[in-house]
Amino acid sequence: MLLGEFEYLMLTAAARLGDEAYGAAIRQEIEDATGAPCAIGALYTTLDRLEDKGLIKTWMGDPTPERGGRPKRMVRLTPKGVDAATSFYNAVRRVSRGVVWAKS
Amino acid sequence: MGEVMRRIGCVLADLAATLLEPQERDVVRGDLAECGVSGWRAFLEVLGLVARRQAALWSDWRPWIAVIAIVVPIGLMLSYATRWWADAYAIDIQIYTRLWDISYLKYPGWPRELALVFWSGTLSAGALAGWSWASGYVLASLSRRTGWIAIALFALILFLGTLGTATIARANAGAFAGHFFGVVFPRLIRFCLVMLPALWGMHCFQRASVSRRTLATGAVALIALTAAAAPFLESSMTLGRGVYLSGAVLGPDNAVGTADDLRPLWPISLVMVWPAVAILLSTWRRVSVSS
Repeated sequence: MLLGEFEYLMLTAAARLGDEAYGAAIRQEIEDATGAPCAIGALYTTLDRLEDKGLIKTWMGDPTPERGGRPKRMVRLTPKGVDAATSFYNAVRRVSRGVVWAKS
Repeated sequence: MGEVMRRIGCVLADLAATLLEPQERDVVRGDLAECGVSGWRAFLEVLGLVARRQAALWSDWRPWIAVIAIVVPIGLMLSYATRWWADAYAIDIQIYTRLWDISYLKYPGWPRELALVFWSGTLSAGALAGWSWASGYVLASLSRRTGWIAIALFALILFLGTLGTATIARANAGAFAGHFFGVVFPRLIRFCLVMLPALWGMHCFQRASVSRRTLATGAVALIALTAAAAPFLESSMTLGRGVYLSGAVLGPDNAVGTADDLRPLWPISLVMVWPAVAILLSTWRRVSVSS
């Protein structure tokens, strides 16, 4: 299954965060990695899409005081999600082999 | 000033968030609080998510059916019907309040005339409320999560559909010279006899608060009421100035909607009755499924 680049970024961020993967934390990871703002609309619609594809599982976490007592949407990769992210990463590596990114 | 703008942004963000599902609304507001995003940026973030969610919902055919079959045709019909009701009864109300005096009681036909005005006004007001309730109910059943957008569009067509037009009743300029009957009354009628019942209908569907038997009985009653109120509906479509749906061709009897007017308008009633028919069919289908 071929992923979109944003989907791959989300899977990777969720994998890095492990048990602490939820909406706001994934958003922060993506913004730190790309240096670009991550819209909450893009984040949650992509989470839904990934869940529909069976690549992640989400559930409601406990509320915390810093969130004004509101719950988190926790995220965990499924084995199918790990396979999809691995395939994408390998494809990028293969296609990049021998390419030097330098402006001529 | 900056703090005021931030607070306005926060209020708008909270308002926009009401268009999200309750669970997602809490999660999103929690994320924004945790990231320290507030004010206008929070509003734009929530609006972006709402727009994406709505776009996904509108890719389904049901919300479009709701717009094509209810919002546009019935919204427009009700715009015409309320325009006529408000203008016609503005004159009657003023006759029986401002111009009334004791000599009226010497006129032998006064009880019958008064009863007729009261009866026809109540009948058509009941029909307006019934059509609106049924429209709201079917609208919510066709487009559960797009219902608020659909009802907003319905309100827009209701209030603006006949903008720039007038009924022939307005030829009686004296009756509409005042601000209340000239401007406020028609809007009040639209709000009270259409918007409130339509919102109540949506609410009843969402809460599933009406029994199947009551729904079926109400739908049958509304179909009968539509037949009784058909002349009122036909008048509201024809007796206008400016832009109106159909020119009045009264025929020798000088009455609209009769066989000699060369343009029978009864099909208009079919448009208004279809939400009631849809409710009736859905209750019948539920009976079939459960048995």
